[in-house]
Amino acid sequence: MDQNSATYEGQKMYDPKGWWDTYVFSQDHKVIALQYVCVALAIGLTGMFLSLLMRMQLGFPGLFESIDAGSYYQDVTMHGMIMVIYLLTALFLGGFGNYLIPLMLGCRDMAFPFVNMLSFWMYFLSVIILVASFFVESGPTGAGWTLYPPQSILEGTPGGDGAGIILMLASLAVFIIAFTMGGLNYITTVLQSRAKGMTLMRMPLIIWCIFLATFLGLLAFPALLVGAIMLIFDRVLETSFFMPEIFKGGEVLDYGGGSPVLFQHLFWFFGHPEVYIIALPAFGIISELISVHARKNIFGYNMMVWALIAIAGIAFIVWAHHMYVAGMNPYLGFFFATTTLIIAVPTAIKVYNWVLTLWNANIKMTVPMLYCLAFLVTFLNGGLTGLFLGNVAVDVPLSDTYFVVGHFHMVMAVSPVLALYGGLYHWYPSVTGRMLNDTLGKIHFWITFIGTYLIYFPMHYIGFLGVPRRYYSNEQYDFIPQSVADLNQFITVCALIVGAAQFILLYNFVVSLYKGAIAPKNPWGACTLEWQTLESPPGHGNWGEQLPVVYRWPYEYGLPGATSDFVPQNVPDEQIT
Amino acid sequence: MAFVIVTAIIVIGTVLWNFVSPWWFSPLASNWGFLDTTILISLVITGIAFVLISAFILYCVVKFPYREGNKSEYEPENPALELKLTIITTIGVIALLAPGLYAWKLYVELPVDALEVEGVGQQWVWSYRFPGEDGVYGNTSGRLFSSKNTFGLDPDDPYGQDDILIRGGEVHLPINNKVVFQLRSKDVLHDFYVPQFRAKMDLVPGQQSNLWFEPTVLGTYEVACAEYCGTGHYAMRGVVVVDTEEDFKTWLAGQPTFAETMNEGANGEQIVQTLGCVACHSIDGSDGIGPTWRDTYGTNRALASGETVVVDDDYIKTSIVNPMSQIAEGYAPVMPAYATLSEEELTAIGDYIKTLSE
Amino acid sequence: MNNYPASEKAFLGLNHAQVFVYVLMTVISILFLFITNAYLFRMNFQDWSPVPIPSLLWFNTVCLALASVGMAWSKSGAKAADHQKTKVGLAIAGVFVIVFVSGQTWAWQELNASGYFLSSNPANTFFYLITALHAFHVIGGLVAWFIVTLRVFKGDATMLQPESVGLLGAYWHYMLLVWGVLFAMLITT
Repeated sequence: MDQNSATYEGQKMYDPKGWWDTYVFSQDHKVIALQYVCVALAIGLTGMFLSLLMRMQLGFPGLFESIDAGSYYQDVTMHGMIMVIYLLTALFLGGFGNYLIPLMLGCRDMAFPFVNMLSFWMYFLSVIILVASFFVESGPTGAGWTLYPPQSILEGTPGGDGAGIILMLASLAVFIIAFTMGGLNYITTVLQSRAKGMTLMRMPLIIWCIFLATFLGLLAFPALLVGAIMLIFDRVLETSFFMPEIFKGGEVLDYGGGSPVLFQHLFWFFGHPEVYIIALPAFGIISELISVHARKNIFGYNMMVWALIAIAGIAFIVWAHHMYVAGMNPYLGFFFATTTLIIAVPTAIKVYNWVLTLWNANIKMTVPMLYCLAFLVTFLNGGLTGLFLGNVAVDVPLSDTYFVVGHFHMVMAVSPVLALYGGLYHWYPSVTGRMLNDTLGKIHFWITFIGTYLIYFPMHYIGFLGVPRRYYSNEQYDFIPQSVADLNQFITVCALIVGAAQFILLYNFVVSLYKGAIAPKNPWGACTLEWQTLESPPGHGNWGEQLPVVYRWPYEYGLPGATSDFVPQNVPDEQIT
Repeated sequence: MAFVIVTAIIVIGTVLWNFVSPWWFSPLASNWGFLDTTILISLVITGIAFVLISAFILYCVVKFPYREGNKSEYEPENPALELKLTIITTIGVIALLAPGLYAWKLYVELPVDALEVEGVGQQWVWSYRFPGEDGVYGNTSGRLFSSKNTFGLDPDDPYGQDDILIRGGEVHLPINNKVVFQLRSKDVLHDFYVPQFRAKMDLVPGQQSNLWFEPTVLGTYEVACAEYCGTGHYAMRGVVVVDTEEDFKTWLAGQPTFAETMNEGANGEQIVQTLGCVACHSIDGSDGIGPTWRDTYGTNRALASGETVVVDDDYIKTSIVNPMSQIAEGYAPVMPAYATLSEEELTAIGDYIKTLSE
Repeated sequence: MNNYPASEKAFLGLNHAQVFVYVLMTVISILFLFITNAYLFRMNFQDWSPVPIPSLLWFNTVCLALASVGMAWSKSGAKAADHQKTKVGLAIAGVFVIVFVSGQTWAWQELNASGYFLSSNPANTFFYLITALHAFHVIGGLVAWFIVTLRVFKGDATMLQPESVGLLGAYWHYMLLVWGVLFAMLITT
């Protein structure tokens, strides 16, 4: 079969010529997905390194003289922004989304391969701009990842004297353009390019999750874009969108009349859906993994889809729960507390359905399954503490303390990353045709799971005590006992170990690429289409001559009457043996 | 099996930790005990959910391990079960939400018969204002701030003349008296937070936010800024002293009114307190964001540029007006320029620093 | 679950490009929704003093409307397979949009010359920001127009289809609609 000049179903395939077209400026969704994964992991490692710098200061104050208060806050800011936007959003949607959407839906590529390629390169550009801010005078912005004005645009803020904040905002704007290009592509592909028989209610849950997360992103990122543009105006042109009268450095500045709270509304209108932009793909990965490795159909597929749609809808009316004590009209608290706790119901339904999937199952404790189960525990923990913070009055003593740090790391750092690792171990054979090393995988799993729990769980309790977050040091405060400093040392040691353990994963990735056992075509015995390709790993165009036809839902495990314990989606009834 | 044992230890440990944790709520010193109760209610309800669901997961892992040739039960839906679970969850959520909303109602309805205090935040110092004898605050404007008029009060407003100004970060409050704090900020966001009082609210420049509580235990408490406000955020420490009624009155009577502060001459100690210099430059010899002032006058100072200078009046003045020109070695170049201080004020600051070396 | 292949049907009978452009329009609508929200929020503050709207904007609005008419003309030409009419419509639309964008920049200069600087009042800032953001999206449409027109005149028959011209037209009608809403907001507040 001559792939490179093929025309399939009237659609002309993109035809790579030479090395550059195939591996660099590729329009093949699989290559683009890999590019996203590599860039996101690289910048994610940078973010992890920044977090270790912060931990060094907190655990061993003053040990490193180069970490002064200003650079500490710059590290905090960049760590947050990198992890939330440039690692998790990009990796889940750009990486997993790009790889899985066409393969799982049985089409040859994204609807607009060229736009897809542009999307990646715009993302790459945004990362370059972000990294550039480390090298400008006075470094990257240290205004906190929320970029609250007036702080973020004033000189005197860590990193505020140079171009750090401008580069940050420019990078975000470019990222939003990249995301929009990718997002429109995912939406069009899901709506238009599904294989014959692949109805919406037969799509794997991860595709539903990515589809809805993309919608959330498309509708939420414009709020951030508007906020970013207005911040740039305030900073560069000295306008006063967000800037009230300000007295700083002994003089009244040339601003007046603006509202800092307006920015917070714009930011969190984006920021809260952003949490779900990260969480939904993680939910999707877990839904796939738990079903495949427990050899059991996912429980309550319809309910799962409707719960997802409910979460995606309600996600837009909960944003101000980040602002209960931010000086907005306090009566809004009643509304936002209610919506926030309502969103707990569909989220709980998802958790129930995952654990009920385990009932009467045939559970294989593979590495992806370990990640999956660990995700359930940490997500449960982090989700439940969210009920404290969403519940307005309960939030008052806890907001801006270490309880918040513990909560959001548990729910949107540890959990999604566990899902992410599960996904990487699960789909690595599909991408490379080789298996990852199991022993290394288990070592990496145990250190990551136990280590992160030890890091974040105790933080909730120093939050009860009232230790505020974003403190460079606690030494001056009498209400913070010495035991908190001891705990900080312990957490730092754990963080260093967990940080080092991530290199096991990288080592496993690189070595298995050459020395891993050759993967069978469908190593996990999964029903979804990405494992049913002609060649493994799938070639350019994915499906050879004939597009697959779908006859059933994606979770046909343990079907009564069949000899095998799974029936792939593209097997018609008459061929079931 | 390893997974079951380890996870069981984690889950049991998580629950037990609540009984043995060395870190728990700071001792309560205000009327907001109900907020602690809401946290405890949440802990119990979420704890039950956490244990039940985790136990179910572990049970399944033990009970249904993979066996070659085995097949799982085929059960795509069970609407009755799903409905039951949804209802139970909804009840749990309502049980959490109801006390939360009730507590919030108490929290946002400001008492009318309360003592009024204005809290003002700036990088990185707290100051306060009482309305004075007439019980009415004078008008303020963000345009009127200066190093002398640190509250931005309208000098022509008769109501403002008797306003009592508390500079220097320490405020006293009478015990068992409801207090309403009206909060505003001069520069960036701050957050007034006393862990023992539980209450917390952001200070937002350009607008006012409110907070109330009733101190119930005599003592000295720390104010910790809880909204990131720049390099000195962690050093923005204040003090609240809860006094008896009489002690409070005596203390208040000793504080200057606005009219008095406008007539006083340049006082170095007052200026450095109101400008917030002491958040970074300690007066007790400890190291901070900037060099300490204790025993520093007349000593040699190594600069980041490699030069060495003597700390004298000229050096101090230049460092205030143009800090970047003479950054001390080992310190970050983060100090803002205070270019609008008058010659008289600069001299007063220099004189004050001199007294710290005697 | 039901074990028969369901019939394959494109979503609502739309083609790829249509889905792409319609979702893009939704995203752009959200963008303008936020900027108008911020505008309506910010105008309640006391330092707001409205900008006198240059009368040139009425002329510009007419131009944008005529551009839309040109696109509609072009589409009806494409439907009737009348290539001449299609091309004329495209040309009319392009000319009027270019006049619109230049008119907008002229209006800025006029305002600036009469002392309504960008940073002197939030109302001014919003005026410049909103009109610029809209003009930016119109220019985006102009780029698409340029590509389509170039291919039409090179003789690419696919570009003479009612779908291609119609989709470009839809975006321009949409830009007219957005402008109508923004302009109404600017003159009434």
